Amino acid sequence: MTALALRLLNLRWTVLPPATGIAMMAMIVGALVAAPREIIEGEVQRLMYIHVPSAIATYGAFFITFVASIMVLWKRDMRWDALARGSAQVGVLFTALVLLSGAIWGRPIWGVYWTWDARLTTTLILFLIYSAYLLARAISDSTDEQAARYAAVIGIVGFLDVPLIQMSVRWWRTLHPQPIIFTTKPALPGEMLIVLLIGFVAVFLLAAWLISLSTETERLHQRLAGVRAGVDRHEGA
Amino acid sequence: MSLAWVVMQKDLRLAWRNRTAWLSAGAFATISVLIYSFAFDLATRDVRPLLPGVLWTTFLFAGVFAAGQSFQHEADEGTFDAVLLSPASPTAIFFGKAASNLIALLVIECSQLVLATILFNTALISAELLAIVFVGTVGYVSLTTLLSIMGSRVRSRAVLLPVLSMPLLIPLLIGAVRATGASLGIEAGTAPWMLLLAVFALWSTLISALLFPVAVER
Repeated sequence: MTALALRLLNLRWTVLPPATGIAMMAMIVGALVAAPREIIEGEVQRLMYIHVPSAIATYGAFFITFVASIMVLWKRDMRWDALARGSAQVGVLFTALVLLSGAIWGRPIWGVYWTWDARLTTTLILFLIYSAYLLARAISDSTDEQAARYAAVIGIVGFLDVPLIQMSVRWWRTLHPQPIIFTTKPALPGEMLIVLLIGFVAVFLLAAWLISLSTETERLHQRLAGVRAGVDRHEGA
Repeated sequence: MSLAWVVMQKDLRLAWRNRTAWLSAGAFATISVLIYSFAFDLATRDVRPLLPGVLWTTFLFAGVFAAGQSFQHEADEGTFDAVLLSPASPTAIFFGKAASNLIALLVIECSQLVLATILFNTALISAELLAIVFVGTVGYVSLTTLLSIMGSRVRSRAVLLPVLSMPLLIPLLIGAVRATGASLGIEAGTAPWMLLLAVFALWSTLISALLFPVAVER
């Protein structure tokens, strides 16, 4: 069972990169060429094919950080810390992408780059929380287990804060008069839906590959720091 | 529970002996209320719409500032390990520390309310408002106490603690500002905001009490 899991896990270096590349190419071609032009929003609507999957991938990455943080506290294994950090990095990257693509889309469609809409505000707060998590982890030693445990606390609290943030921000924005932004949402026509699904596959594969890479980088950092400490001890002795 | 009481007494006694730390938090709160009144020219206009925000940003920043100090002492003296080795369970240590922080912060906040009442000529001492301040402070103090243990491990804690805790505290800030605004008659209905504050206080106390022991375990 574990052998099989390990073999599957090792596929991430051989299968994942080409699969990601193919899916990304398909998404780009689909979004730019194959998908029909949206009548009202025009070309800028094509951003949706990367924006929506990225938003979902963000939550996925932060969920991985949440689970890995629990494992750091439970198993006391620094490999989980590497996964938590690696995943948070990718999550923050995708959150930035979501905010940026949303702003580019928002300018022509809403007339503003930014508005304090509930969903936008929640995304921004998530970005702040996990940036702070990464900052806290970055200014402590990568092999410092105690610091990893403290950071794991933020990884857990941050994720469990999400429902409260959503609740508060929704009440905050709805109790206040606001221009209506999200009007009725038309169902997606078939071609657009297919391209969006390809976008989901591509972005999820990309996120998985990036998380593998950044986790491995964190692991190497930890090992390097460990080796350095060993050398220092040896020279000191 | 009695052990938590002992830890609280110990921390309060230390806070009293080492008054400068808490006095500086109080001075920080006072100066920030004054700075707000200069910056927004609060004396000349109808100040009430701005007051809740002024009060709660002051409370939160003073609270984070003060919480950072609650472990500073332990970290400097290396006494935290000794406290952990004592018969007090980590949960008791957490509750003791949070309670002593809570008491000290409530003192600071009440003094700020008195100050703001005088400065802005608005009656701020009411049972409703005190209840909001109490529940709100319970909400943030447990979380900042939990996060302040980070301070014993990393450099540049002074910057890190606000950066870490403020985003997590945004729901509390929104709820507290709205509830305060409602109690001052700026907007209608405290009920949903009091509910949000209470839920946040419960959530943060519970999660901090659960996570603190596992985080500090050696």
